[in-house]
Amino acid sequence: MAAQRQASSASQTPHLSPAELSYLYTSLSLPKTPIRPDGRSTTQFRPLTAESNILPGTNGSARIGFADGTQAVVGVKAEVEKTTVAADTLDARGLFQQQESPAAAAGDREAQEGLGSAAVSGHGSWVQMSIEIPGFRDDDALPVFLSEMLRESLVGAVSGSGGEDMAGGLKGRLVINKRWHWRLYIDVLLLSQPLSYPLPLLSLTTHLALLSTKLPKLKSQGEEDPLFDDDWAAAQYLYPRSAPGSTAPVTTSQQVRPPVTLLVISVADNVIFDPTREEIAVADAVLAISVARDGGHDGLKLLSIRTIDPPSRLTQPGVPNSENVNMLANATSVDDSAAGGATAVNLATGDEEVSGVWRPRRGGAKRSVLARMVKTVLRKGGVGEEVLEGLEGVEVE
Amino acid sequence: MTDRRRINGPPGGTRPAVYASLLQSATGAADRAQRQRQPTDLRKIFLKTGLIPSASGSSYLEFEPSASLAAARANPKSLIPPSSALKLACTVHGPKPLPRSATFSPNLVLTTHVKYAPFAARRRKGHIRDASERDLGVHLETALRGAIIAERWPKSGLDITLTIIEAEDDRWWGDAPDSHDASWGMMNVLAGCITAASAALADAHIDCLDLVSGGVAALVSEDMTGSSGPPRLVLDTDPAEHRSIVSACVVAYMPARDEITELWLKGDSSKAALEDDDKRPGHEALIDGAVDAARGAHTVLGQAVRESIARTVGSA
Amino acid sequence: MAASLPSLAIPGQRLGPASSYSAGPGTHVQQSSIYASIAGPVCLDPAQPKIQAKATLRVSRVATSKYQTRNPQAGAVAAAQPKPRYNTLPAVDSIVLARVTRVQKRQVAVSILVVLDDTPSVGADPSRTASDNDNVASILTSAANPENHSNTDELRFQALIRKEDVRAVEKDRVVMDDMFRVGDIVRGSVISLGDQSFYYITTARNDLGVVMARSEAGNMMFPVSWKEMRDPLTGVGEPRKVARPF
Repeated sequence: MAAQRQASSASQTPHLSPAELSYLYTSLSLPKTPIRPDGRSTTQFRPLTAESNILPGTNGSARIGFADGTQAVVGVKAEVEKTTVAADTLDARGLFQQQESPAAAAGDREAQEGLGSAAVSGHGSWVQMSIEIPGFRDDDALPVFLSEMLRESLVGAVSGSGGEDMAGGLKGRLVINKRWHWRLYIDVLLLSQPLSYPLPLLSLTTHLALLSTKLPKLKSQGEEDPLFDDDWAAAQYLYPRSAPGSTAPVTTSQQVRPPVTLLVISVADNVIFDPTREEIAVADAVLAISVARDGGHDGLKLLSIRTIDPPSRLTQPGVPNSENVNMLANATSVDDSAAGGATAVNLATGDEEVSGVWRPRRGGAKRSVLARMVKTVLRKGGVGEEVLEGLEGVEVE
Repeated sequence: MTDRRRINGPPGGTRPAVYASLLQSATGAADRAQRQRQPTDLRKIFLKTGLIPSASGSSYLEFEPSASLAAARANPKSLIPPSSALKLACTVHGPKPLPRSATFSPNLVLTTHVKYAPFAARRRKGHIRDASERDLGVHLETALRGAIIAERWPKSGLDITLTIIEAEDDRWWGDAPDSHDASWGMMNVLAGCITAASAALADAHIDCLDLVSGGVAALVSEDMTGSSGPPRLVLDTDPAEHRSIVSACVVAYMPARDEITELWLKGDSSKAALEDDDKRPGHEALIDGAVDAARGAHTVLGQAVRESIARTVGSA
Repeated sequence: MAASLPSLAIPGQRLGPASSYSAGPGTHVQQSSIYASIAGPVCLDPAQPKIQAKATLRVSRVATSKYQTRNPQAGAVAAAQPKPRYNTLPAVDSIVLARVTRVQKRQVAVSILVVLDDTPSVGADPSRTASDNDNVASILTSAANPENHSNTDELRFQALIRKEDVRAVEKDRVVMDDMFRVGDIVRGSVISLGDQSFYYITTARNDLGVVMARSEAGNMMFPVSWKEMRDPLTGVGEPRKVARPF
């Protein structure tokens, strides 16, 4: 039960008193220059250490540790699998042709059109993601929600103009030929109890692991059963990248990068990145925004947005002084309407915001607020680009 | 150890053979489900509350079947229906005491369960909730928690259970998944869940800021190649009626406050074909479209709640 | 002004400005307007000159057919028969009927069956509450709280009557076994929301205490004094903390 409740809102609410919450909210909502408890600017991330390629048994791996001690390890493993077109995705065009010229059933034309686009563009279910968080069962809402969120942006990243290699995004990259494909297992391990909402940590680590993922070089050609080069040094990156130190111009496909999911909160008029647990606890709205760099144009591309339940809705309200006095006075005088009286007093005075007294957040977010949050992420030279550049800088040997 | 006394079926699951001649009628472009509505037209919604007497609140919601589905039902040419229409039931139980083990909560503790009936989709769903159903549950919880005034119900729990009796397809059944494929049907289901749950909450007399309603908008591209040609904005999409959905968005929206409690957007919204003088980025146009769809659903929702109140007042 | 009020409201419907009304149950205030938060008939309770200056707007949970009482001249809340009510939570000061589930040395555990109708003012009109004694059975059997009709105590709110809350006098001489027995129906007043699992209830008033009880022989007993009830068939008396019977 307790775990369920944590899971649904952004993370377990820290045990802050209404007075502390109100103080935090006020300092974070200062116009233009919010003051964060750790002195960061609104767009600054917490310091972290990152390394990749740490697990020899995987195709790609990474570890990121936040300064607060939470660490995540991600391993990516790839397996070759036979492509089957599911019976309920009969491609009508293929059948149509089959019927017209039965002899061509095994022919080239059928192979090209019959198996249809499934075999060409890949399928989302080829990427499997599992997230292990200590203290949670793997069918709890939080791990399921997180893995769906990360997977959704991964397989959803379709590049329209990313060059030949990355035409279908990650899904397309997993296609070997019409009958075979790679299946990708991404296993995320959080090494300690999450101190803040673990989404940014998991997303950054997954990004890094995918950047370092290599697939063996294919030796067979065309529609043959796949045969791979056993020289690991010849293996190719899943996301093509330029050789370190080379001065060759970067091709468009080398600009395609796995997505990152950023956690953004809004407090009054301010948009704040990489919030700590305390900061999320007073947020008006929490968004998880996934972006990726697309090969074609140099801006960032929005892949998905999800709202996350702000835990501020579950906090204890503060009691304004006026109400307190009321209660004392009321105790001696006749209470106005018996059972309903208690709530009526509460409503009459409590629904109005009293400055300096914490009220749990209610309702949702205005459209303008959401638009501003997305804009801050996507802006050229904005936070999204900064994060992607930072991750690019992590040494991959 | 095989059973030698009987002739058993094959061990794995099988499907009945589908013969090509049967399919031929479905292969022509004319038999493919086509959207008959204008891009901004919404489907009709049937919504009724208070159908389950043992629950403190309940509702039933149904979407109008698409034109092609209605035609196929009236005059069946194929065994396979061209599309499906959403049907779901929602029950609210509570407020009731929290279990002994739970900690003190000054607010209402909300639990949401979304479950597809095993027969809801073309592919059978198991009885155990899978990842997508849990995911929907979290989305729904976020949407409702923003609308409920939780501090009015200290120390109590509220269970909201949604049973999806017929789900929306993710794409036209005959199409193979293409590069933009995703579970688009889920987004329609979520919008329906939000609207139905909101009606059930009102039926249970749980304090809410507003009747929160769900709406879907999508960017669709109709041409065969899928990627060329800018996608158009369409409200209340039925995924079976479109060749390729590029991006879609579902919102939970409270008209009285003009606030969004839940937003779920996915796909590439950057290439939307908008009016020339429309300077909004694609994702904002998509969100605004979904909000418009939610406003439409809200009129039905308000009317259904009024009807249910008029019923109880009349009978008292 | 009352004419502009709708007779039925749905959640999110604007009812009036907060400057001319005060917000009652079933409503909430947002940007100095009062909005409905539940669906139901709109009621307007007239201002009580001494306590509040503004009339209270509320949306009723009770589905009375007399919702026209919003007219200020029609007087206070219509004293209607118990109507179907929805989801009433025990709140501080509300009167509840509860069944005793366990008697211990220091406290009695009860499970709350019904939260009684809002009585306008307990102190001012005790005779009215006392008269409830006659229809305790009807309250318990009517569909007052539909969700409480399940038989399990798990689904009911649990409460405690502590030894010091049993009666107002001679608190230190209370012997729990002489006050309550398992199965008794008790009328009590909620004094606190308590901890995570129990509400706290007091019976330390004349009109509170056991209202229905069965004797050892299993017969329904009638009260003979503030501390005794008697079996009409066997004539044997049993000690109880009895609610004032008349």
